Amino acid sequence: MEPIASHENWRNCFSKVAPGLLLFARQWVQSAADAEDIVQDAFVKFWRRNHDIANRGLLYSAVRSLALDFIRRDARRARREATVLAETEPAIEPHFELEDDTQSALAAAVESLPRDQREVLVLKIWNDLTFSEIAGALGISQNTAASRYRYALTNLKKTLQPQ
Amino acid sequence: MNDFSELEKELRKLRPAQPSPVLFERVGEALKDRTSASADATSSWWRFKEARHNWWSLGFGLAAAAVLILFAAVTMERRHERQQTVAQSSPAPETQPVPLETERSISPSRFVPAGGTNLVYNARDEGLHFADGSERPVRRVRYNTQQTWRWRNPETGASLRVSYPSEEIVLIPVSGQ
Repeated sequence: MEPIASHENWRNCFSKVAPGLLLFARQWVQSAADAEDIVQDAFVKFWRRNHDIANRGLLYSAVRSLALDFIRRDARRARREATVLAETEPAIEPHFELEDDTQSALAAAVESLPRDQREVLVLKIWNDLTFSEIAGALGISQNTAASRYRYALTNLKKTLQPQ
Repeated sequence: MNDFSELEKELRKLRPAQPSPVLFERVGEALKDRTSASADATSSWWRFKEARHNWWSLGFGLAAAAVLILFAAVTMERRHERQQTVAQSSPAPETQPVPLETERSISPSRFVPAGGTNLVYNARDEGLHFADGSERPVRRVRYNTQQTWRWRNPETGASLRVSYPSEEIVLIPVSGQ
């Protein structure tokens, strides 16, 4: 595989990974702007350290840890915002670019998954990570990653089944 | 897994929301800054953050040390007093004998360490991080513990217990694959 950091044009590289990275970051933060901050920090660090694309699990791991740090740091603000949001109409920015109602239902089903299953699904489907890379990024075993993925698909299937 | 191939296909058709063009500009600016002023700031911030967590452990550690020193000081003072009493009473031992048991009974605050526990009630794997200035990632594991130390006075049976929460962050080096 081509080393990510030796790529002269970081834009090519970033434009390939950014949508998936943002989606991954938004498993923890609702705001797209906050997710972009996290992705920016993680990518800049990854790029500066000349990491190889073969170790791209590190990039996702960095996004995850920055997102968790963000949540901890921002817990007070989040509580305040949650109180305000509870009193107003929620305006959550969509995670996907939706084309029809079928996709809307699918996206809603994905967002209703438990977080541990959803993060594996996001890494597998929209970031094309292997179970080995997912395991490294999330600090879990490959078997756990695979079984969470299977549970996620099973749950999605159940949710989407016609009543 | 084949049961899910249709579902996987449908999922792949969903396109994640695209990043704003501003994000590209911001990343470009950050990467241009080769003098890494911002990297230094980030590193400092990371260092501060790590240090901030360690302050708790340090604070509790110092508190525990202070308690131990206090007990050591009290014990030494008592011993010193007892030695003085013995020294003063030694010229006339036959007229004023000081039994050891009596001696002990006047030291009700003599506590001896009776044990301690370190209960880990939560361990959280926080994933991979980059330590400052290091190319190699480390896995950060956060332990929340409740440390309890006990002292007991053998004469009076009184016991003293100090219990405090503690947070410990362990960085485990990870070898590349």
